[in-house]
Amino acid sequence: MSNRRDFLKLSSLASASVLMPGFLRAMRFHPLAKEGKKLVVIQWSGGNDGLNCLVPFEDDRYYQARPTLGISPDKVLKLNDYQGFNPALAPLRELYDQGYMSLINSVGYPNPDRSHFRSMDIWHTASGSDQYWDSGWLGRYLDHSCSGCAKPHTVLEIDESLSLAVKGEHHSAIAVTDPRRLHRNTQDPWLVSLSNEGQQAAHPDLGFLYKTMTETIESAEYIHAQHKIHRSTIDYPKGNPLARQLKLVAELINSGAETSVYYTSLPGFDTHVNQRNKQNRLLGQYADAVAAFVKDLKQNHQLDNTVIMTFSEFGRRVDQNASGGTDHGKANSLFLIGGQLRTPGFVNAAPDLGNLDDGDVSWEIDFRRIYATLLKDWLGADDEAILQGHFKGLRLV
Amino acid sequence: MSSINYRQVKHLLWRAGFGPQASSLDLLNRRTPEEVLNQLLEDSDVRESVLFSDMIAGNTGEEIQNRNQMSGVERQMLQMNDRKFVRSINVAWVRRMATHPAQLREKMTLFWHDHFACRLVLPRLVQLQQNTLRVHALGKFGDLLKAISYDPGMLQFLNNQQNRKSHPNENFARELLELFTLGRGHYTETDIKEAARAFTGWGFNRKGEFVFKSRQHDYEPKRFLGKRGNFDGDDILNILLEQGRTAYHLTEKIYRYFVHPEPVHEVVQQWADVFYNSDYDIALLMKTIFSSAHFYESRNMGARIKSPIEYLAGMMRGMAMQIPNKEGILLIQKVLDQVLLQPPNVAGWPDGTNWINGTSLMMRMKIPQALILGKEVKFKPRAAFAGNEEGIQIQGRMARLLQTNINWNLLHKQTRKLGEADTVEAMREFLLQVEAPHLNWERISPYLGNSDKGMQFKLLCMRLICTPEYQMC
Repeated sequence: MSNRRDFLKLSSLASASVLMPGFLRAMRFHPLAKEGKKLVVIQWSGGNDGLNCLVPFEDDRYYQARPTLGISPDKVLKLNDYQGFNPALAPLRELYDQGYMSLINSVGYPNPDRSHFRSMDIWHTASGSDQYWDSGWLGRYLDHSCSGCAKPHTVLEIDESLSLAVKGEHHSAIAVTDPRRLHRNTQDPWLVSLSNEGQQAAHPDLGFLYKTMTETIESAEYIHAQHKIHRSTIDYPKGNPLARQLKLVAELINSGAETSVYYTSLPGFDTHVNQRNKQNRLLGQYADAVAAFVKDLKQNHQLDNTVIMTFSEFGRRVDQNASGGTDHGKANSLFLIGGQLRTPGFVNAAPDLGNLDDGDVSWEIDFRRIYATLLKDWLGADDEAILQGHFKGLRLV
Repeated sequence: MSSINYRQVKHLLWRAGFGPQASSLDLLNRRTPEEVLNQLLEDSDVRESVLFSDMIAGNTGEEIQNRNQMSGVERQMLQMNDRKFVRSINVAWVRRMATHPAQLREKMTLFWHDHFACRLVLPRLVQLQQNTLRVHALGKFGDLLKAISYDPGMLQFLNNQQNRKSHPNENFARELLELFTLGRGHYTETDIKEAARAFTGWGFNRKGEFVFKSRQHDYEPKRFLGKRGNFDGDDILNILLEQGRTAYHLTEKIYRYFVHPEPVHEVVQQWADVFYNSDYDIALLMKTIFSSAHFYESRNMGARIKSPIEYLAGMMRGMAMQIPNKEGILLIQKVLDQVLLQPPNVAGWPDGTNWINGTSLMMRMKIPQALILGKEVKFKPRAAFAGNEEGIQIQGRMARLLQTNINWNLLHKQTRKLGEADTVEAMREFLLQVEAPHLNWERISPYLGNSDKGMQFKLLCMRLICTPEYQMC
């Protein structure tokens, strides 16, 4: 919490910043991440069925559990002797072959929860399943980054509002879908005038509100200025909600924006009924969007500085249900994509369908070990402070 | 206008309810906090348990049973219908907060909804729980605790239906100790295990009624908080109520919610003693707080960041504003991150500065432009990530959803005789809970346009509402 003097100092800076040319203002911000490394998170919301993404085509138990929903071996895009892509993921085949993908099986956490909300909370906060935390892991990344220099736009969520993952205890990310609109909204003359004048806050929380307002106006200006620098020349698929988000991310990364984490999401994976068409459509959108995004980054020599992590709050039950769908399950697969992965291909063995946890894939790798690795080895952050505990790193980035 | 009395009355109305009403603007100055408190207590003495009953017609318990035999498509249809009912309860509640005279009861019901936070899908269970909270909101905490421990919604949400002698489920027992009574650090893991055994067999039937399944109950002796006996669930609740710590934990939480985010230990202890010694009389505790000198200290006035529900219901109340479109009322909750009946988890909503980030603050500054001026604003809520749990899909243009009826006459007539500077001052004192002398005529007039007086008055209200100061209560 800022005290009044800090706030006044900050607000005088803010008023000066309005008069300062964009390039000078940009210099006031210090990049946080190690050597300009970028982390892009893609959230598959709703519980993506991992078994129909990385299909264990050599396992009879898979086909027994999924008499109609199973993907037959001749359709699977085989990646090794045992697992292969759902054909809807075909656009990613090339990335896999080039060593740009790490596929991690059976990711989860102890005492898994099958509620979307609870499980997503656990993934967002990185708490244990018996703990309720108020802040998210990437929000705490902001909290713990070089104290005082973290700006809201260090972490950007490409959405209309913030998810818990990017809300910290003291700092939070900023949400943006359209930099021009964000800029216009924050340039309301009344708000700018309030922010410039500053306020002798009667209460610490009121000071916090003023500080937040000033930072938001500054960050909106920064994002707006940056996104105009570089316009993407790659064709992104049309009518694809994830492609729209990733295009903005690529433009910001390729323009040299100092943002180190981008958070995006693709909803709709809660496939209890008639799963096949729904999931294939979503996976197709995912693969098309990611393929264009990677191409864009590569063309601008940014793929080596970027890691994309894709996750979902849980996998689905191994048995299909009576409605051509699947119900909520437990552990799931997680994808990493980037130009500098240390373990390309499959990181661990396929889920053991002979050793299920009450009909679900059991967890083998705690997701917080992946968070710890990305925080420490990629972003150069204090993983133990952020995750409030020690989680053994993996050889990933 | 800005007498100490006036500020104190408004402070009381914001904390014990959802703020002053537009219609009472000229009354506020003429009544003392004591008079207003007595009125609040009297108005809140109603114990209506029939709230929303008309909406649940046809939604009987049998459906819980049949659901398992339905096809996926049938079940989805039913779930859509369920969500519609739950949304109706949500909207009816917000409107009630904004208009009902039983302000203190509604505020306490909101507090208990946050304390006994459940996220339920079946409207019947939502309604049962709502009524339980509302009936006991100002009664004895022991009665409330017992009622909620027998509540089918709570038993479902915390998996007590699966709590059997052969295979105990500790979820309910854990939250009972950690969140509902003692607070973290005042019990052991063994206490949780033993308490869970005492609640084995507590469940509900397919009609949504409490049942005790004696064959699943563990009748062996238990050891709990240093006592030993053949305890059942009721015994556990009684032992928890015997602990002074339970009174302290609750009083501290009430202090944070109703007085100041940072509690003063001595004051909490003093009020906790009152609470404990009155057999947990909630109405008496609240009366003690709201009539204490401590409550009216300047440290505590305007020191709370409004929750989105306080922001929304408070604005509807203060501006004599109706939002006819249900979707609009839901949309505001969704974009500001507090949807009634959908708390994030059993710990309830994180309060205070947790509500605020750059994005939510900008939303709080944008929404009034639509509500007060009918401006088209572009934003949409986060996509629902789970079709069968998340209830709100907003369709249509924002300006239509957020279209309002405001009784401008109520507000305007009370300032019509005043000059420009005095009007600014009068509205500032009415709308804001922190002193903000800098928001004066000189400061605001450049932002009021050059149009007619009526429009200038609307703009004045909007500018005052679009300030960080307005977020405080």
